[in-house]
Order: sequence, then structure tokens, then C-alpha cells
Amino acid sequence: MTADALVFAVSCTAKPTGARVLQKERQLGEFLAEVERRALRIAEIAVRDRDEALDLVQDAMIKLARNYGGRNSEEWPPLFYRILQNGVRDWHRRQAVRNRVMVWFQKAKPEDSDYDHIAAAPDPNGRAPDEELQNSEAMQDMELAVHELPVRQREAFMLRTFEGLDVAATAVAMGCSQGSVKTHYSRAVHTLRDKLGEHWQ
Amino acid sequence: MKKTDEQLAEQAKATFDASVDRLDAATLSRLNRGRQAALDEIGRRDRDWMRWMPAAGVAAAVVLAVFTMRGPAEVDVMTAPATDLEILLSEESIEMLEELEFYSWLDTEDLEGDGDLG
Repeated sequence: MTADALVFAVSCTAKPTGARVLQKERQLGEFLAEVERRALRIAEIAVRDRDEALDLVQDAMIKLARNYGGRNSEEWPPLFYRILQNGVRDWHRRQAVRNRVMVWFQKAKPEDSDYDHIAAAPDPNGRAPDEELQNSEAMQDMELAVHELPVRQREAFMLRTFEGLDVAATAVAMGCSQGSVKTHYSRAVHTLRDKLGEHWQ
Repeated sequence: MKKTDEQLAEQAKATFDASVDRLDAATLSRLNRGRQAALDEIGRRDRDWMRWMPAAGVAAAVVLAVFTMRGPAEVDVMTAPATDLEILLSEESIEMLEELEFYSWLDTEDLEGDGDLG
């Protein structure tokens, strides 16, 4: 191959890197903007602390961008939630260790009942006060019931119901088989129905 | 009547969505900052990769220069494709080739003439 031909071949095969990076950034930005608020609420229900949930979501977003930013955008939802769920599980492990240490030093940890759901979800969107209160109460009931589910059931229920992932994507996000997802989800719904009762709204 | 699984899931979803809509401005701002940090990360990753581009360009240029400089010392005028093309496109060159013997004789004459002068 002559030098001229080599230069021509290189110039033909080279991709417009800058444009490709910008396009990926734009796609990822749109994906994160679309998913971040639901992800925050899902993490918040799991850890029952908004600040911790915000940190977990930000961490998941950064890890997704760093490790999987170059992947196809269709792969991002299950990957993102897998990272987030791993973060939530790590957080619970750290909390368990911390609680053991606190018990050892006889320092009581603040009770869960200090968590103020209404303060955590202010800024009503033009709803009437009674409707707002009703929604808040319903959310509190459901949030508590979902939080008390076993971990895998909670993950399956939130990913399937709140995020709308299908069984296959939920299986990727949870790192288990599709059959396990169906089992966990079914048990979660059964438990919630019993806990929330017929009159829950 | 007991709710069906689907009814419960729909109701849970509606309640959840309402809580998402109620997120306050400060929280949305923090989410936005987190998203920007993530996007900076993807840009940084690609910038790290592109940092090697100048070095790669210089290396490619050196390789090309070596290839060019080490090319054949004597180019066969009659067989080189680029030269063929130039000859075909230039009427003057064709004329010159047709009268190559004449120019050759002229060259010889010039040299002899120079010798006479010297």
C-alpha cells in the first residue's frame, strides 16, 4: 500500500470521535434526567433517608457513565438499577455493621420513626390540600409496607411496578433468573395486599 | 372484594408517581448536579483517551515519513501509474514522447556544443 493510499484509508475509517462523544453524552443526559427522580424515590424507600438516597443515586449515575457510558442506550436501565441496588445493599451492610458497633458502645441510634415523610416530600404540584394529605398518607402506608418487604421481594416489586422494567430487565438488574423475579414479585404483591388491606387507596 | 394483583400494582404505581411529582426544588437541584457530575465523568473518560491522540498522530506521521523516504530510489517512468496518467492528460508530453529521438539528439548536440565552447 502506498503512503497516499494509507492516508486515504485511515481518513475513511476514522470515526468522528468528538461528535460521537457529544452524542453519547446527550443520550446519557436524557436517560438520567428521565430516570433520576424515580430512582431517588426507589432508593429512598429502600434506605428511608433522602440524603443517603441522593448520594446513592449520584454514585450510580457516575458509575454508569464511567463504566457503561459507551454501551447501547437500551442496556442502560437494567445496568443503572443493578448498580443502584448494589449500592443499596452495600449501604444496608454498612448500616448493620454500624448498628452493631453502636450497640457495643451503648449508643442508641435514632429511631426510624424520626423519619418525616411529609417533610421529605413537600412542594405540592397544585393539588388540593385534602388530596395532598390523602396521597401522602397513602404513600406513607405503601412506603412502609414496601420497605418492610424482604430485600429481594422489595427490589422485584419496585423495579417491576415503580420503574416499569420487564421481567428480563429486572432479572439483569437484580442479578438473578427471570423465574426468581416472578417468584419474588408474586410474593411481594401477596404480602402487600395482606398488609395494606382492602381499603388502602 | 379483594383487590387483584394488577389493581394493587396500578394503585401503588399511581401513589408512587404522585410522590415523584411532589419532589421539592432543592432535591431536583441536587439530582441535576449529580447528573452533571456523571456526564463530566463520561467526558473525562473520553478526554483521557483522546489525550493520547497527538502522540498517536506524531507516531503515524513518523511511520508515513519513513515509508515515503524509503521508497524506490528510481521510479520507472513508463510503468508508474501516476506518471501514465499525467502523460495521458498532457498533450505536450505525448508530443515529446513521439519526438523522443529528436530531443535525445538535441541533448547530445547541446552537450557537444557546450564542449566546443569550453
